[in-house]
Amino acid sequence: MSTEQQTATPMVEVRNVHKRFGNLEVLKGINLTVDRGKIISIIGPSGSGKSTLLRSVNNLEVIDDGVILLDGVQVNRPDMKGMAFERHINHIRQNMGMVFQHFNLFPHMSTIDNVTLAPRKLKGMDKKAARELGMEQLERVGLAEKADVFPNWLSGGQKQRVAIARALAMKPKVMLFDEATSALDPELVEEVNQVMRSLADEHMTMLIVTHEMSFARDVSDWALFMDGGVVVEESAPDKLFSNPDQERTRNFLQKHLENNK
Amino acid sequence: MEFDFSAVITYFPTLLKGVGVAALVALAVALMSVLGGLVVAVISIYTNKVVSAPLRFFIWLFMTTPLLLQLYFLYFGLGEWILIPAVVVGILGLGFHYMAYNADIFITTIKSVSGGQYEASRSLGFGHWRTILYIIVPQAFIRSIPQLGNNMILMVKDTSVLSAIGVAELVYASQYAISVSFRPFEFFIVIAAMYYVINIVMELGQAWLERQTSYRH
Amino acid sequence: MDFDLMVEVTPLLIRAAWVTIDISSRAIFFGFFVACGLVFLQTLRFAPIRWFARGYVSIVRGTPYFVQLLLVFYGGPSIGLRLDPVTCGVVVGAFNIGAYMSEAIRGSIESVDNGQTEAARSLGFGRAQTMFYIVLPQAASLMIRSVGVLAIVLIKNSSLVSIISVVELTYQAQRLIGSTYKPLEIFTLSALMYIVIIYAVMGIIELAYRRATRYTTQ
Repeated sequence: MSTEQQTATPMVEVRNVHKRFGNLEVLKGINLTVDRGKIISIIGPSGSGKSTLLRSVNNLEVIDDGVILLDGVQVNRPDMKGMAFERHINHIRQNMGMVFQHFNLFPHMSTIDNVTLAPRKLKGMDKKAARELGMEQLERVGLAEKADVFPNWLSGGQKQRVAIARALAMKPKVMLFDEATSALDPELVEEVNQVMRSLADEHMTMLIVTHEMSFARDVSDWALFMDGGVVVEESAPDKLFSNPDQERTRNFLQKHLENNK
Repeated sequence: MEFDFSAVITYFPTLLKGVGVAALVALAVALMSVLGGLVVAVISIYTNKVVSAPLRFFIWLFMTTPLLLQLYFLYFGLGEWILIPAVVVGILGLGFHYMAYNADIFITTIKSVSGGQYEASRSLGFGHWRTILYIIVPQAFIRSIPQLGNNMILMVKDTSVLSAIGVAELVYASQYAISVSFRPFEFFIVIAAMYYVINIVMELGQAWLERQTSYRH
Repeated sequence: MDFDLMVEVTPLLIRAAWVTIDISSRAIFFGFFVACGLVFLQTLRFAPIRWFARGYVSIVRGTPYFVQLLLVFYGGPSIGLRLDPVTCGVVVGAFNIGAYMSEAIRGSIESVDNGQTEAARSLGFGRAQTMFYIVLPQAASLMIRSVGVLAIVLIKNSSLVSIISVVELTYQAQRLIGSTYKPLEIFTLSALMYIVIIYAVMGIIELAYRRATRYTTQ
């Protein structure tokens, strides 16, 4: 019964979110709910607003209208200003793991320091405990042996796995993936996908923006198709990918299939 | 502490004459250093080591030693042989100095143009020197403009150093006025302001020139 | 070439070269703090302070170092600023190179990839922490070379303090040329000393750069 009550608050909730860049409205009233332990994938052409949506959840983009909630706590706070908002958002972000297309590992720090910097400086963990935690996370992504190597020595796939470990080290409530495999050579995509699958097996809550249709279909509990700043269609992945209701979704998938031939 | 600019006003024509001298010197130096720099660069790239090695040595020497030291050397060195006016020594000294800096720029840009353009031109039937003169040098020149502009802006500021060897430019022209008026602060402030205005005008000119030529590469 | 003369004047020139090194290194050292101050002022929210810092940088870069030196040395006393020649050389050098350096520092901070800031912020780091742990360490290695170039320019410009009769390398060279009438010998020796100083500095810069960026190269 208690687990039922826990699932009552969604982990991430996006309500009627609008975002404008100048005159261009890139998000036109988006609604989205990510329940605890669920995996949601967002697909769509470039410029559809899917990355902007994901970045908005982390407040890397500041939305113009609407509400974003993380575990029932409002992320965007138009009522807060200056340092008060800084403190608020820094605290919120510690509970969200973000993985970027271009990894954004800190090149001047070893792999293990990349992973342990935030736990040490933000959670005040001592060096030894942080290293233990960091090694644990690196093992989780299969890169424990690279702990004392600098990021420039790693392949793209390895970099992205370290970036995932870095995010995991903060024990986030949700992981956000912003086209995590788009910048990778094709042969390196699978190793990152595998790490993401293992997270799925551990029931990590995830919100994934991706171009990998078959991966999205395999791993997600729910899938959204976005285009032109709106959610065109959403459903269970099997339906969305094989038998979508909307013409636009069908066209997109068709084009995608052709391009990948 | 009170300021009195009346002496500056009295001697303003003298200052303007100094500006005029500085402008003429700068113009002569600009011509000499840009054209000379281009010639030096072309020769040092496209001829044998016997010719190019000494040229490169002088480029290097002028770039690694202070301008003032070079000026003193030229002033006293030439003075041993012939009697020439300070202004000529000044133009030559500043000219050689910036010729080296400009040649250094041209060498880089000529090499960067040379790659594919040389073969393309030769394949059209242009000879070696024609290719260099008609195809490579014009393109390299246009590519060099932003950096040449920077150098010329630096050069104009460096004309002030020529007062050390007695060229009657702005700073030198003010010396008498300062010695009789005892108002060094006022005079140097005005001189600095004049340089600042000239500098801003030159920067605007450089930006304009870059816009005019940027479509070509 | 008169080698006897060259041997004779070498100690004099070496002593003068030390003055050049002393003035330059002090100017570079203090100039770094001036630069950091200017960069800091330009990050403040209060606009007039930002304008002041930008205006200062613009004026220093837009006027000759030589005129700045004369202004402070000869004009300083009329606003109550009396400096001995060496101090004046150091102070003007520091405030001059500081302006240029602040631009180099700002440029290197801005050239750190924005993704680095985003990654740090997404982990929950605040602005200052992101600057301190992530951006500045990377900017520091980027700025080594540009600051190094400025240091070399300053060493060459330090010759100008000879005009306010600081007995540094160029002053000594000029005096010796005047008294011996051997410009080539004296020029060769003093040029050589500048070259040695400048190459030493270039070596230090290169070492520092390699050390600072060893994480990017194999």
